[in-house]
Amino acid sequence: MNRKAPLSQIFSRAVILHRDHPSIDALRRQLELLHIEVVTVWPQLDEAHATADVVFFDADMGHDGQFPWPAGYAPMPMIALIGTEAPGRVQWALAQGSNAHLLKPIGSTGAYSALLIARHAWDMARSQADDIRALEDRLRQRPVVVRAVLKLIQSEGLDEAGAWKRMRRIAMDWSMSIEETAEAICRDERRLKGGL
Amino acid sequence: MARDTVPVSVLYSSTGSYAAYGRDAAAGAMAAISEINADASLPFLLKARVSDPGGHAERYAQMAKEAAVQDGCRHIIGCITSWSRKDVLPVVERHDGQLWYAFPYEGYEANERVIYLGPCPNQHLLPLFGHVQPRFGNRAFFVGSNYIWGWEVSRIARELVEGDGGRVLSDRFVPLGSIEVDHLIREIATLKPGFVLTNLVGASAAAFIAAYGTFRAETPEAPPLVACNLTEIDLETLSPAARAGHIATSTYFHRLETPENRAFKARMLARHGQQRRLSAAFVAGYTGVSVLARAMVDAGTDEPAAIRKVVTSRAFETPLGALTIDARNQHAALVPHLALSDRDGAFDIFESAAAPIDADPYLVRSLPRVGPVVIGTPSLRVIK
Repeated sequence: MNRKAPLSQIFSRAVILHRDHPSIDALRRQLELLHIEVVTVWPQLDEAHATADVVFFDADMGHDGQFPWPAGYAPMPMIALIGTEAPGRVQWALAQGSNAHLLKPIGSTGAYSALLIARHAWDMARSQADDIRALEDRLRQRPVVVRAVLKLIQSEGLDEAGAWKRMRRIAMDWSMSIEETAEAICRDERRLKGGL
Repeated sequence: MARDTVPVSVLYSSTGSYAAYGRDAAAGAMAAISEINADASLPFLLKARVSDPGGHAERYAQMAKEAAVQDGCRHIIGCITSWSRKDVLPVVERHDGQLWYAFPYEGYEANERVIYLGPCPNQHLLPLFGHVQPRFGNRAFFVGSNYIWGWEVSRIARELVEGDGGRVLSDRFVPLGSIEVDHLIREIATLKPGFVLTNLVGASAAAFIAAYGTFRAETPEAPPLVACNLTEIDLETLSPAARAGHIATSTYFHRLETPENRAFKARMLARHGQQRRLSAAFVAGYTGVSVLARAMVDAGTDEPAAIRKVVTSRAFETPLGALTIDARNQHAALVPHLALSDRDGAFDIFESAAAPIDADPYLVRSLPRVGPVVIGTPSLRVIK
């Protein structure tokens, strides 16, 4: 989370997915104190709610099909409102992609730290997912790299270390990753030929 | 000498979708209050504030608060569903109160402001399945009311079945109060499970058992129904054929043959008529009030901290036998019984625990440990 951004810029709209309840009145008070605009919805979110900055959801009476996105793919941080600490319910909340939780009954504290923790966890999860995707791409391209090295050995008469050195130089010159370079070598790109 | 009057709240739904339990529980509480008030040796009289939330969970908190603020009730004898209990917790916490909760529930709670007199899963589901699994195999069908009781009991039951190499053929939920059950019967007829666990409550349970009776009349090989919350009350309105042959666990059945219950029944039937059948719900209300009253005698006050101290430090004579309450989790140690229902809608006990079983509300001591626990759906796999 960008610590320099004030909370009001990170969270300006919250959706609470819960029936009317004194705990929800208390949560609303806490959020409005933080200048967050609050909408309460039950039993289902629709696509218009996808623009909210955070979703608080009932883990006790919650059920599948309440969210307009697949479980675990919420476009914003999610905070579970837990009254029943039964494993089945906690498991369900986790499956929805809960990033933090608040225990019911809700009083006059807790929302602020839950917001910060949820946003941090959500940011971390997103950046890790990006990293994993990039690494998976590179993993997928590994055979191409091997093919490119073999090609350089054969066509340029280099040994393995020399082929690697050549490939790294091309990657640096053209500001590409090793994998992209390898793909280009395999495609026989002219600009590379010129550079070889 | 004039006796002090101490107000207590009796908070059961005697109308709504599970009204039959609520009426019995309230009747049990009132019977205990009458006995206490008739005992001139006691230094106090109990004055009941009876409220009926009508089965609406959201009314419980309001009524509990009114009892505390308007009448000064420190003790609430009440709640049947977990949903309502959860809503009363903030009120007893805020108003220095104590809830006496005496119904079977799904566990995962140990609130200082609650005395738990009903069984949790290691005192109901585990003994029931200890009997059912070896006899009726491991092809299970679950049906329950669509709230935390149904969900969590079914989840634990699934762990037991799958942990034993069995399969849950289907796991169905019905909205609280719904009596649409025909699709369940059709599915049971098709899947032919070894047994059916029902976690239905109130009107749904009655409708399901009635429909199951019709199905069974045409299907002699129909599997048994088993339940942790099936009582004489649920069978009352059904035909004799539909009532018989179900296996239930409870800490109380009318026919419980113990000196304590014989004495209790003699007193209650003298009051309510010889035809009256006592249920676990009636005993729930009765036990809550009578343990509270005797703790008040010892403590010399109804102040909840003092009551908790007394309640968790000695045994109390109850219709269930001598009852002790664990100071760590405030749950009663209980003797689960297993019983088979007959055409009269009563239960014959065929097995009882040899000694009271301590409550294990978080199931940390009662289940065999099997490898690392996976929380949530595992989404990453190691690919070699």
